[in-house]
Amino acid sequence: MVKYLFGRVLGGVVTLFLVTALAFFATAFAPGNPASVLLGNMATPERIEAITRQLGLDQPLPVRYGIWLRETLLGNLGTSNVSFKPVNDLLLAAAFPTVQLALASLVVAVVIAIPLGLILAQNRNSWWSRPASGLITLGISVPGFWVGLMLIVLFSVTLKILPSGGYTPPSKDLWLNIRSLILPVATLAIYLIPSVVRFVRVTAISVLREDYVDTARAKGTAPAAILLRHVAPNTLVTTITYIGLQLGVLISGAVVVELIFSIPGLGRLGLNAVLNRDYPVVQGVVLLAATGYVAVNLLIDLAYALIDPRVRAR
Amino acid sequence: MTDLATTPRPRRSSGLLAFLIRRSPLAVLLVGVFLVAAIFGPWLAPHSMTDTNLTVALQPPSATYWLGTDPLGRDVLSRLLGSAQVAAQAFLIVVLIGGIFGTALGLVAGGLGGILDLVVSRLVEVLQGFPTILVAIVIVALFDPSLTNAMIAVGLAAIPDFARVSRSVAIQLRDREFIQAARGLGAGELRILWSEVLPNMVGPLIVIASFDGAQAVLWEASLSFLGMGVQSPAPSFGSMLREAQGYLAIQPSFAIIVGIAVSGVILGLNLLGDAISDYLDRGGK
Repeated sequence: MVKYLFGRVLGGVVTLFLVTALAFFATAFAPGNPASVLLGNMATPERIEAITRQLGLDQPLPVRYGIWLRETLLGNLGTSNVSFKPVNDLLLAAAFPTVQLALASLVVAVVIAIPLGLILAQNRNSWWSRPASGLITLGISVPGFWVGLMLIVLFSVTLKILPSGGYTPPSKDLWLNIRSLILPVATLAIYLIPSVVRFVRVTAISVLREDYVDTARAKGTAPAAILLRHVAPNTLVTTITYIGLQLGVLISGAVVVELIFSIPGLGRLGLNAVLNRDYPVVQGVVLLAATGYVAVNLLIDLAYALIDPRVRAR
Repeated sequence: MTDLATTPRPRRSSGLLAFLIRRSPLAVLLVGVFLVAAIFGPWLAPHSMTDTNLTVALQPPSATYWLGTDPLGRDVLSRLLGSAQVAAQAFLIVVLIGGIFGTALGLVAGGLGGILDLVVSRLVEVLQGFPTILVAIVIVALFDPSLTNAMIAVGLAAIPDFARVSRSVAIQLRDREFIQAARGLGAGELRILWSEVLPNMVGPLIVIASFDGAQAVLWEASLSFLGMGVQSPAPSFGSMLREAQGYLAIQPSFAIIVGIAVSGVILGLNLLGDAISDYLDRGGK
């Protein structure tokens, strides 16, 4: 298990290294000399040169990367070019809505998708199995953000029972918070469900073909009991890893959903920063989201090792 | 795809087409309409794709404007035809980047093995699943929002898919008789990969191209919707839906029509991937 975990941690470190390099390049190669941007209309050639030396911009790239990495690890992410607020504060304020949205959507999606996938696997030979698979393919093909727009048309415009956007923090009003998140969470969950259902179905079908399932069946165990006691646990172990892989989809989806429903989260922060060329904020958002992605994937790998004795033994 | 290695080289394409029409007529229909729209769109369009006319803004479908008009009075059908062309460009960029780099990496890793394979596999494992949106954000922040820049990010995300498949096929083929025969005749390893192994993985690669092409269309729509891809006034599925969002209460049919069109394209490509995969599983019969 030590070797397995070592490999995973190494993979995480490599990813983070690539990400920091990516985020660094986002500023290092950004158009415009940061020194003259910083000085604005007070810029004179002497001052620009002084600031350039002070910031270490005259150093070769690897050295600059080292300087930048040290500052970043110390938590110094700079200030926004647009609002002049510290990037740390902006990230902190935006992180909560995003985490709330992503977590709630993931829970809803998993709670719906896993039983659905198991039921589809159990009834794989019934007449409705093929139409159900067709429906899953349709679900995978429909853009998630369009589903969000349609939910707005249905629930906000036509039925007028849910807000079409905006976000209330739970500390202010929990009920309004939940109401403001119903449509965004539904959108993101609907986006995730089809692919998870498909994965659970395929995995469970292959588990159903295992010898120990035949043995249980021969002993006279009821089909429902086989599904719950033998198929579900073995399917779940693999599904956890799959959900880890879907994390990138979840992050991408959250950005779009935040834009549609005007949720002041990391996605909207990053998106506005991109369109305003606010490089320090772009960098902060990319770093934070990527670190979160790597950290959660590491936790999933750890959970996987704890659940599955075959991995533990390695 | 039960056994990739026994997959024969694709037979005559007429056999494949006949199979696809039998197996998944919907896929053939949807992809066919998409291709016709993408290639002949500019000639088929009944109105201008970009000329605005505010006196006919946001009209419902009618005899003049079959699918209605957008907030600037442009014909929705004509702009959808233009969007199909943009989606096809997105498809090509993504599949070319993913296909060339991914296949080369997988082929070399699987075919030569050793430390190279270890490094490539780890890298693929690490990159697979990484949030595409973050890569897109960095690329678009550095350069400009445009179709090509947005699709480069999506193409990079497609590399692991192609690498995984080509690597597994290369490993299955590595020690087969015809490869050993070529080796015995004195062919170099790289030459064997190029002229013996690569032609035998065309089938599985087409399947991946179809699925990743569907993803490319989806991502083009998403990134253009976010303002990171195609910029107005150029038509694209995503930029049209972005325009539609502000008018959901006034003319929802605009958003509904565009959404159905883009879903149809993606569904067609996904179904096509499934059907071709079936065809290969049955040994092309």
